[in-house]
Amino acid sequence: MPDPVVVVEAVTKRFAGHTAVRGLSLAVAPGAVYGLLGPNGAGKTTTMRMIMNIIAPDEGRVRLFGEPWNRRNLSARIGYLPEERGLYKKMKVLEVLVFLAETKGIARRTAKQRAAEWLERLGLADWSLKKVDDLSKGMQQKVQFISTVLHDPTLLILDEPFAGLDPVNSQIMKDTVLELARKGATVLFSTHIMEHAEKLCDSVCIIARGEKVVDGPLAEVKRRHGGHHHVIVAVERGSEAVDRVWADRSLVAKAHNYGQYAEVELADGADPQRLLTALLGAEARISRFEVTEATLNQVFIDLVGPDAARPAARGEA
Amino acid sequence: MHRTWVVIRREFLAKVRNKWFVIATLLGPALMGLAMFLPAYLLTKSTGARTVTVVDASSDQVGRRIADALDAAPLITAHYLEATLGGVGDLADSLAAEVGRKVINGFLLVTDQTITDGDVEYRGSNVSSQNDMANLQRYVEEAVLTQRLERVGVDPRLVADARLRVDLRTINIRGGKTTEQSGQAAFFLAYVMWFVLYIALVVYGQLVAGAVVEEKSSRIIEVLVSSLRPSQLLAGKVIGVGAVGLFQLLIWAVMAKILIDQQGFFLDLLGIRIPGGRAFGLPGVPLATMGVLLLYFVLGFFLYATMFAAVGAMSSSDADVRQAQQPVLILIVIPALLAFGALNDPDGPIALTLTLVPFSSPIAMPIRWSVSAVPLGELAASVGLLVVTMLGVTWVAARIYRVGILMYGKRPGLRELARWVRTR
Repeated sequence: MPDPVVVVEAVTKRFAGHTAVRGLSLAVAPGAVYGLLGPNGAGKTTTMRMIMNIIAPDEGRVRLFGEPWNRRNLSARIGYLPEERGLYKKMKVLEVLVFLAETKGIARRTAKQRAAEWLERLGLADWSLKKVDDLSKGMQQKVQFISTVLHDPTLLILDEPFAGLDPVNSQIMKDTVLELARKGATVLFSTHIMEHAEKLCDSVCIIARGEKVVDGPLAEVKRRHGGHHHVIVAVERGSEAVDRVWADRSLVAKAHNYGQYAEVELADGADPQRLLTALLGAEARISRFEVTEATLNQVFIDLVGPDAARPAARGEA
Repeated sequence: MHRTWVVIRREFLAKVRNKWFVIATLLGPALMGLAMFLPAYLLTKSTGARTVTVVDASSDQVGRRIADALDAAPLITAHYLEATLGGVGDLADSLAAEVGRKVINGFLLVTDQTITDGDVEYRGSNVSSQNDMANLQRYVEEAVLTQRLERVGVDPRLVADARLRVDLRTINIRGGKTTEQSGQAAFFLAYVMWFVLYIALVVYGQLVAGAVVEEKSSRIIEVLVSSLRPSQLLAGKVIGVGAVGLFQLLIWAVMAKILIDQQGFFLDLLGIRIPGGRAFGLPGVPLATMGVLLLYFVLGFFLYATMFAAVGAMSSSDADVRQAQQPVLILIVIPALLAFGALNDPDGPIALTLTLVPFSSPIAMPIRWSVSAVPLGELAASVGLLVVTMLGVTWVAARIYRVGILMYGKRPGLRELARWVRTR
């Protein structure tokens, strides 16, 4: 494995009264799309802020590009999208972008040109001379995203990048992030929405209550922690007979009913065909039956447990 | 350095383009013009000639002399009216009615006591005008004096020659050298400097606090902190707002100079006639005084602006700032008021103390310097103390700023602040 771009070594961060992150280590390989996953209050934002050297860890250390932080020496190579979004509301869109690029050391003229290109690309060209205040929240998010990538960073650190976006804009963002990754950028992003992570990540790190639960390549995490055969079943109308099938422990190890469909983990040695036969025997009307590997969501819930969704006292979002 | 410059430029442009800045910058000279020309305008409008009736109930017609003296005076018309002591009462009533109809402004009651005891009474509608009363008093005094001297046999020509109006011109002496500056001009200059410094510290200081909290409440601070060091940000804010302040004061200074230099034009425009054609003179400002003013402006501004920045950093909203900045404001206002009082005795112990104490010296020293000769040793001590304090305050403020800008919620207490300062 080539030298990782981000190395977090046993960092701990305590705030008055509670420990936000405890002995966390992770490494992000160059070119990877890496997901930092965890429920609300797990310490994702604190971890990202420590990676950005905005707050200093109490213990452990962070190295980016193989170098330690020395004030803001590395910031020009990093695009950071904080969880708390914000722009100067009274400034014009183009001016804000140029200013933020200049704080990264980009020349004014270059910044102007690139900002115009990006605004065009994300469909905001007509808004470049409007005040930020006049933009909708979704548009402001896009402007903020542009400010994150305008200086051509090789490392993107995105805290909840898709939060608050509608499906269309969310998709545009995902495509943009993936394209930057294809061009060689390393992406580290946090989310508590597993579907996002599943679509984008090649590696993940799941944390809960400030501690690492598991990390590694996505496929490996799913293989190791996903259990046995998984089947996605959609049954029109339940019945007692169908419920008896779900309760059969020789057949079904775990079942998560999401409402429209259920995700079923088969018991050790059980065959998906037997489940299908049993359901047909119970006279269930089946609209979907799909043998699959575990979803990340399933793994996440299994590993983190419902308890972890409750943040520790005074936890950070 | 370049990145600090980027922050300075943004701050400067954002503030200068703000519509309130434009309004305030234009309103300043307008008020200045009003303050300059309004009194002159009112003076020409209202100082129509006064008409006074002198009621003489004395035995040797001293009232006639008074009436002649008043009539000879500019802008006063006097009528003479002889009366008997018994008839004064009725006469006074009818004259009062004339005052009521605005036929005359008022009337003097002269009796024999006027010569013996200096007892004279004036009733009129303009008794509240200090100017009118001072004039009246002077002319009556002169006439009474002349009458008395003649009574003891002094030649009236001799009396006329001896009569002399004293005009006290005040000339400021600094460092044993007589200056060109009149006492009035020195005071005027001191007042202008006091005003400029006070405004600079209070208004621009609060602008700094507002600029800092704006970045917090808009949540852009975390993006900024990820690219810039807190010290770069802080320096950019303080210098940027300071530049805005200097820029505004410069505009005002230029406008004031134009108003004063071209006052003939403006006076004509308003139709005001003034003897000599000038309502105001510009006091000459020595270069050294300008230098001292600028030096203390810069040092004082940094001293207070960094404190205001810390206030902004520990607050989460504008309302928070308004509360948290009270102690800093008091720290400016009290010395500023004291410094103004110290003008009465610019070399006394109070003035000396105020010019040495760092929190009052930014306002007190330039004022004291403008009216008296401050020994260079005292100036050096004052600057030295101020610089040391400013560096100390900046250090503490920067540490509070660094922690505070990422903190939201309840404002910290003093213990919490002390912890922020100690944080690695």
